[in-house]
Amino acid sequence: MNVSEIKKDFPILKREVNGKPLTYLDSGATSQKPNLVIDAMSDIYKENNANVHRGTYVLSAETTQKYENVRNIFKDFINANSSDEIIFTKGCTEGFNFLANSLTKNLESGDEIILSEIEHHANLIPWQMAAKKHNLKINFVKINKNFNLDMSHFDSLLSKKTKIVSIVGESNISGMLTEIKNMSELIKSKSNAYFIVDGAQLVPHRKVDVQKLGIDFLCVSGHKMLGPTGIGVVWGKKEILESMEPVYGGGDMIEEVFYESATWAPIPHKFEAGTPPYVEAIGLGFAVEYLNNLTMEAVEEHSNSLRDYAKSKLENVEGLNIIHSTSDIAGCTFAMSIDGVHSSDMSIMLDTHGVAVRSGHHCVQPFHRKLELDSTFRATGYIYNDERDFDILASAIEDCVGLLK
Amino acid sequence: MSIQEKIDNYKKTLSLFPNPQEKYQYLIEQAKFNDDFPENLKIDEFKVNGCQSQVWLVPEEQNNKLYFKSDSDALIAKGLVTLISTIYSGETANDIVNSEADLMEEFELGVILSPARRNGAFSMLKKIKDFASGLTD
Repeated sequence: MNVSEIKKDFPILKREVNGKPLTYLDSGATSQKPNLVIDAMSDIYKENNANVHRGTYVLSAETTQKYENVRNIFKDFINANSSDEIIFTKGCTEGFNFLANSLTKNLESGDEIILSEIEHHANLIPWQMAAKKHNLKINFVKINKNFNLDMSHFDSLLSKKTKIVSIVGESNISGMLTEIKNMSELIKSKSNAYFIVDGAQLVPHRKVDVQKLGIDFLCVSGHKMLGPTGIGVVWGKKEILESMEPVYGGGDMIEEVFYESATWAPIPHKFEAGTPPYVEAIGLGFAVEYLNNLTMEAVEEHSNSLRDYAKSKLENVEGLNIIHSTSDIAGCTFAMSIDGVHSSDMSIMLDTHGVAVRSGHHCVQPFHRKLELDSTFRATGYIYNDERDFDILASAIEDCVGLLK
Repeated sequence: MSIQEKIDNYKKTLSLFPNPQEKYQYLIEQAKFNDDFPENLKIDEFKVNGCQSQVWLVPEEQNNKLYFKSDSDALIAKGLVTLISTIYSGETANDIVNSEADLMEEFELGVILSPARRNGAFSMLKKIKDFASGLTD
């Protein structure tokens, strides 16, 4: 993959920060956008804009066609069975809230949900809320000392009582890649639980085939994969989606409405109340096209080789503690800390070098608490990052430590 | 020295440092001078919410004037809270409440003074003003 050519497609990467060229290493929080996506969204507003599924005039028909076509693009992208399985949400967090509300409606007191110790709050809090409402038990799969899931612990947690397993596909802290296929086989052999994968970090970086993985749901965030904010996807198996109750009412999700009651539209619209973020969805469609042009195989290969380089580079920085999966293959995500240096000081000082990293608990507070760390600073690499970006990071960290110790 | 005079002094000092890195280094130096915060006061009551790091601000009243002790586990935040404590220490509750100085505007401190409502500096200032307003009629 030719990263220097790719960089040219992202106008923001040309800018300077504090007099230094921008080194953007926070794609785990949000990715930058290529011209293709920016222009496509601007073109919709200039040429087609009209509300979808309503007007009987050309503009609305054009916008509706472009919007609905994104379901096909996304269906192919993750190899879903049908475009009816692609539900648009405003992001991954909304996706989990929708699933946690809908899938727990018929659960019984004492039924169990399995999450892991390293879940993003988006895949934790909605389940805590649902568990409180329906008196469910949440079990957490342990993370081992290699910063990977403890699979034998997972095995021991599974039983007929397990109704939902919801696990991160690629960790936004340790870069851990979950053994999704192994998990789905284990789940099927020991329970009838639904298997949900948090694809927020996984889908932007790796080829995902939902049918091969044997999962039931996938939550995706658009803005982490070159798309705009305010758009995400929940993919679910058609037969399960059809049996599920909607969570949000109004607008597009109805079939017939009476004063006393209403009936629902077929999937996917049953789950999409109100005017959808159709311009954002169209933007996401172009983001997928951009990734397809690179091929997800190449994107994945780039992530792997950049991770290997970054890992060896960062491991050579004196005093740097790295929270990162020890597996041969993992995501290009590094949470870091330095004894005696606060991560917020580090990220503020790195910013003076033009290096953008995130500091804090990265929405994974319980796991930070387990490691007895208030916070870490985190660098993530994406398609527009190269070895030089991590060279700059490593030398900037060394420079800043000198000032902060 | 009035609140505004103290702000003007800091403003003058900070303007001597042309780039953000030097300004932060100045804050770090201020933080290092501020080293007498009692460990037993690091309790929730004195914690400033809305900061990325842990920040504590403890008010004291002496002869109708307020004095503030402060600390943080991060150096830059500690430098900032040290500046803010110094500016408002030795002033009456009324003067603090009536001070309309906008630190975000006065100090060009880049990312650490962004005017977001949940920003650390905003919360530090609010904690000081809330305490002062509790003492005015």
